[in-house]
Amino acid sequence: MGSLKSLVSRKYETVKAVDNISFKINEGELVGFIGPNGAGKTTTLKCLSGLLYPTLGEISVLGFNPYSRKPEFLKQIALVMGQKNQLWWDLPPIDTFLLNKEIYGIENEKYNIVFEELTSLLDVKDILKVPVKKLSLGQRMKMELMASIIHTPKVLFLDEPTIGLDVLMQKKLREFIKEYNIRYKATIILTSHYMQDVEQLCKRVIIINFGKIIFDGQLSSLVDKYAPYKKIRIIFKEYADPKKLDKLGEIDTFQYPELILNVPNKKTNSTASAILKNFEVEDITIEDPQIEDVIAKVYTQK
Amino acid sequence: MKKYYIIARNTWDEMLTYRVSFVMWRVRNIIQLLTIYFLWQVILPPGKTILGYSQSLMLTYILGTSLIDSVVLSSRTYAVGDEINSGNLMNFLLRPINYFLYWFSKDIGDKAMNICFSIVELTLIFIILRPPFFLQTNHFYILFFIFSVILSLFMYFFLNFLLGLIGFWSPEVWAPRFIFITLLGFFAGSLFPLDILPKTIYEIMKFLPFTYLLYFPLEIYLGKLSFAEILSGLSISIFWTFAIYFIVKMIWQKGLKSYTAYGR
Repeated sequence: MGSLKSLVSRKYETVKAVDNISFKINEGELVGFIGPNGAGKTTTLKCLSGLLYPTLGEISVLGFNPYSRKPEFLKQIALVMGQKNQLWWDLPPIDTFLLNKEIYGIENEKYNIVFEELTSLLDVKDILKVPVKKLSLGQRMKMELMASIIHTPKVLFLDEPTIGLDVLMQKKLREFIKEYNIRYKATIILTSHYMQDVEQLCKRVIIINFGKIIFDGQLSSLVDKYAPYKKIRIIFKEYADPKKLDKLGEIDTFQYPELILNVPNKKTNSTASAILKNFEVEDITIEDPQIEDVIAKVYTQK
Repeated sequence: MKKYYIIARNTWDEMLTYRVSFVMWRVRNIIQLLTIYFLWQVILPPGKTILGYSQSLMLTYILGTSLIDSVVLSSRTYAVGDEINSGNLMNFLLRPINYFLYWFSKDIGDKAMNICFSIVELTLIFIILRPPFFLQTNHFYILFFIFSVILSLFMYFFLNFLLGLIGFWSPEVWAPRFIFITLLGFFAGSLFPLDILPKTIYEIMKFLPFTYLLYFPLEIYLGKLSFAEILSGLSISIFWTFAIYFIVKMIWQKGLKSYTAYGR
């Protein structure tokens, strides 16, 4: 009945995917763009690359209005989406590369250099002539990436570039992105659900949720702002009274014999020595809070 | 321009990877052709005429429609709707490439392959069946015939593209296409020449675009039309080609605007 009703009278609701955000990214920066599912990350990337027209506001990328999608603009950017393919399924990847060479009007000499460089960076020499349909997911992702950047875009938008890849492949891809950023002085904006991607690649992060920017700055200052504490992990030798422990600091978890305390940065040393003095301790470690936890904390705040 | 040449070549290579299914598709075409061919051979024995068609004219008509059908009236653009729906259109919008020309180039690659096969098939048919083929010798007719075939090619391309653009608004791009194919089978004249229909129906059909896809070019070739009829037919045909072209352009622009690509 519901589906029948929706056939006759459909109700539309306007949802703001991105609302009043503004930021500036300098040449050569590698910025992480993160947020929970549906936060508006992809929408923003689409606006920046010229796929979506913002109802309000101004966007300028490389001095162009992206939405005009002028060839001179398109030749300098690339949007790579983990789940969109441009490779010709039945043909070897090299055929798509050669087509892109013509589409972007790359000169032979430059093409050959970039082609060689990308081939060795991505380590894909032996699969260039294998039909795409016979490649594994990881191999295909590499090829998709290579096809997207064979014109060496100055601005690269990467939407979930490591999605669905195994740990090793993720690591390799990360290294590649870093190398590309340095070698071609490219500006890269990357979205990812894997904190590792962001942690290892980006100095600066922009966190977006409900279509709004909730943080924009250095990754380290994010930690300072939202988690200005260290985690002290203690393993007790003998039972400790929870009441006594309370005074030491904020208890994160306590499951005898393991206790995890959140202690403000300045008080770390004094707290640690107090613990060692007053309790029988098997083991004690001081750690930085996990970036995942910090981000989760940011997400849940409104 | 080289990019469009490579697209055509890639399409050709792509078809080669599905050799078996392509050959099967051609076999299907031949069987279809032979069925109609033998049917008309029985209905129209040598020396008899039906509504102005002798056996040789009719069989030439049937062979001709089959050739034009497989070369002119074949288009890869049936995938446009799916591409819009899947969001893959993005890949084209973000590259300096013309989407129409991209598909047209794909069609060229497709047609090149089909022409090669058609030539082989028709040669075989001529050697084996020795049909009483009508050979047009008047240069004007041949010239007009070629011109109207080219118009037909463009008209068909745009019509198909138009159907694909439904994808901007609805995921159900195939239903209208099936109706289109059915209509085409009847109105374009691939089963019989349209002028054997009752005169009123035929007069109405003269104003529809379908008539100019198959029937009209072949009538020119067979020399069945007067000079005035050719001119008026070509005018209607040119009108439709441009009209459909402009409609496609307009709908494309409208579609792009509503194409948010969000969540696709």
